[in-house]
This record gives sequence, C-alpha cells and structure tokens, in this order.
Amino acid sequence: MKIGTHYIPLEVLYTLAVVFGVLIICSTVFAIYHHKAKSTFSKELVVRTKSWWYISLGVSLVVAGPLLPATLVLAYVSFVALREMFSIGYFRESDRAGLFLAYIAVPVQYYLAYHNHYEQFLYFIPAFMFVGIPFILVTAGQIPKIVRSMSLIPSTLILTVYMISHMVLLYHVEFPDYELGGGSLILFLIIVTSFNDVFQFTWGKLFGKHKIMPLISPNKTWEGLIGGIICTTLLAYFMRFLTPLNPMESLIVGFVLALGGYIGGALMSAIKRDLGI
Amino acid sequence: MANHNSHFDSVAIMAALPNHKFKSTRAVAADEYFGKSALSRWLMSFFFHAVLIKRNPDENDPSAIDLLDAELKNGKSLIIYPEGTRGTDGVMKDFKSGVAVLLKKNPQIPFVPVYLDGFGKVLPKNAYLIIPLVCKVRFGEPVYAKQGDVGEILDYVQSEVQKLQSPDARNNNHFELE
Repeated sequence: MKIGTHYIPLEVLYTLAVVFGVLIICSTVFAIYHHKAKSTFSKELVVRTKSWWYISLGVSLVVAGPLLPATLVLAYVSFVALREMFSIGYFRESDRAGLFLAYIAVPVQYYLAYHNHYEQFLYFIPAFMFVGIPFILVTAGQIPKIVRSMSLIPSTLILTVYMISHMVLLYHVEFPDYELGGGSLILFLIIVTSFNDVFQFTWGKLFGKHKIMPLISPNKTWEGLIGGIICTTLLAYFMRFLTPLNPMESLIVGFVLALGGYIGGALMSAIKRDLGI
Repeated sequence: MANHNSHFDSVAIMAALPNHKFKSTRAVAADEYFGKSALSRWLMSFFFHAVLIKRNPDENDPSAIDLLDAELKNGKSLIIYPEGTRGTDGVMKDFKSGVAVLLKKNPQIPFVPVYLDGFGKVLPKNAYLIIPLVCKVRFGEPVYAKQGDVGEILDYVQSEVQKLQSPDARNNNHFELE
C-alpha cells in the first residue's frame, strides 16, 4: 500500500491487522469481564491489555512508518532502558558527568544508524565511549569505586543503546529480489522474539521439571527451553514471508533467535538479582 | 507539604496535578533566590504561580506567614517545602515551624503530605547537569492538623510526610489503589 511516497508492504499490513484484531477481541472480552467481576485481577487484565495497545502502536510506527519516526521510537526505547538501568545501578555522586555523556551517546548512535554511517556506528560506543566516559570520570577526581563506574556505564550503553540501535541498520540492508524492506524484518524479529518468551514460559509452566540455573532464574527449565526453541523455530519458518529467507535459513534464524532470547533473558535475570530487584 | 531536594520538585508536583487543581495551586519559593531578575520572577509566576517570600524580610515587608495565610484564605492551595531549603537526597531535615503556624491559623484546611523520591539525584543542589532517572511523587491522603501547640502540629506534619518515605504499593504505579 502506498501513502504519498511511503510504501507499506501488504505482508506487514496483514500481520499488523491480525495483531490489532487480537487486541480488539481481548480488550472487549476483558472490559466485559471487568464490568461483571470488578476484581483486582480483572482490572489488571484491562490495564495490561491497554499497555499492549501502546506497545503495538509503537511497534506499528517502527515497522510501517517512515525511517525517521521509526528511528525516534527506537531511540526512545534505548533512552528509557538506559534511564531504567542508571536508576537502579547505585552510581556515585561523582559519576554524574559520565552518566550525562552516556545519555548524549543515544542521539549520536541513532544519528549514525539513521544515516547508515556503518563503520562509525560500529566503533562509536565500543571505542569512543569506552574511553571517553572513563576519562570524564577521572576528571571528576574521585577514586574510590571508580573502576566499577568505568566499566558499568559504558557496558550499560552496549546493552541498552548499541544492541537496540542495530535494528535501525535493518532498514539499510538490501537483498536481491526482496522488496519488503527493513520494517518487515523488524516485525519478524519482534514477533519471533516475543513469542519465544511466551513459548518458553508456557512450556516451562506446563512441563517444567529440571531447572537450568536455579540460583539465577528459578522459572527457567530444560523443558521450557527445548519446547520454546522448537516452537519458535517453527514460528520463524511460518513467518518467513516477511523476510528474504529460504525455508532452511528461516529455521536457522528461528533457532538462533530462540537461543539468543534465552541468553538475553538469563543475563537480565542475573543483573536484576544482583541489584536486588 | 513535601520534602525538598531539587529544583525539579515543584515541576514534578505541578505536572502530577490535574488541570483544574493546577490553576489554583501556587508554589512557595524564596524571593532571594528566584526573585533575582524580572525574567526569573516572570517564569516562576508563569509556570509555578509562585508566591515569593523573603527569607530575611525588611521591617516594612509583610511577614511570610501573613502572605501565605492570605493566599489560603483566598482559596488557593500552596506547595510548601517545610525544610526551608533543598537538602541531601534521602535525608529529611527538621521542618521549620512556619507551616505549623499556618495550619494552626487555618484548622479548616487539610494538608496533603507528599514525598518526592529520587529528584535529588536528577538535579541535586549545586549541580548543573540534569541526569534523567526514574523518580516518584507519592501523594498521601489529605489530613487535618490535630489541634495542639505549634511543636505538636509540626511533628505531626513531618511524621505524615515521613510515612510516605518507604516504598509502598504506590511504587507499582501501574494500578490504581482500590
């Protein structure tokens, strides 16, 4: 579908239509249920569905909108994640300048991604920020615990800004005979990773017995992981109409995304547990 | 009545108010600090409907208590930081007695305890860089000051604000309290 000069592939539109269809059904059912039950649980369902509406609207803008608003939404996601991490990370009073510099890195990184300055994009945080932030911390002149801040602030940038900003690069990659564009790739990525979470959770709840890392993430079991990986790999296979992947490649990508989702979840669990959240 | 650690405190309270309350709410601020230039005065009155009071009034000036009392009698709500100045984040100083005198003069007016959590880290005193961090404004229920002498009222106000200091259900502010 064409709006002005902007083109939205039908595949993306259909997928989003399914998402919003499900949301409309959920909202209606939960609203009626809450009207009758008026319990805390029913209220929670209504509120949660509402937040899914916001998430879906944000995702729609990212996958179907023009590049600029899509980049801005992703940059905002990075900013919120960074703010969340900085709020819980126990930083020192003398780290303020370093934290400020880290926030400045968000628009710079997304500017580089938006204009497809690929090489600068790749080294800006791992090289410049990993030197710049420690140096700013040194100029504040407070030594105790400086090593912790020196490593933690730039590493947080990698986690919340560097990684997420790679999504913008998907808009710039080109494949022969593939017309759908970066929005479809991001939609594929988001759907597969979100459902990976749901699959691993559901399999774990239904059949979970053998814990993988009981101290870090007591809810993660081998049954959940394996069941989740199988379902996610299959989902990637069926969603490959959004991508230029052939059937074999889509299975491999699905497997990698499922495993990556598990690894990311385990990392975040460990961080949360260490910070006492 | 709120604790005070940052210039962001009034911004946060004002932003949290519903529109119809915003119009009738005035922040109380130090004239020596915010009344220095005409621009600052105008900004303060435009954004915060500020009542500027002098920390060290001249003999001819009306007293701060009279000024604020007149505002209350006029139907306005006041944002007051009874600590008198911005302190260290997480540490509440003793409240100054002016608020208790005001409450004693106006027993028909309730006060709303407010605890501002985290703003002292966003922009502490003597800092220039603003660091975005997650902050919370916790409003308590409106309460009437118990009758008694000024010291008792003061202790009561401080204990009501302190009650909100520890995290409670309002920290999970996704859901309204039933």
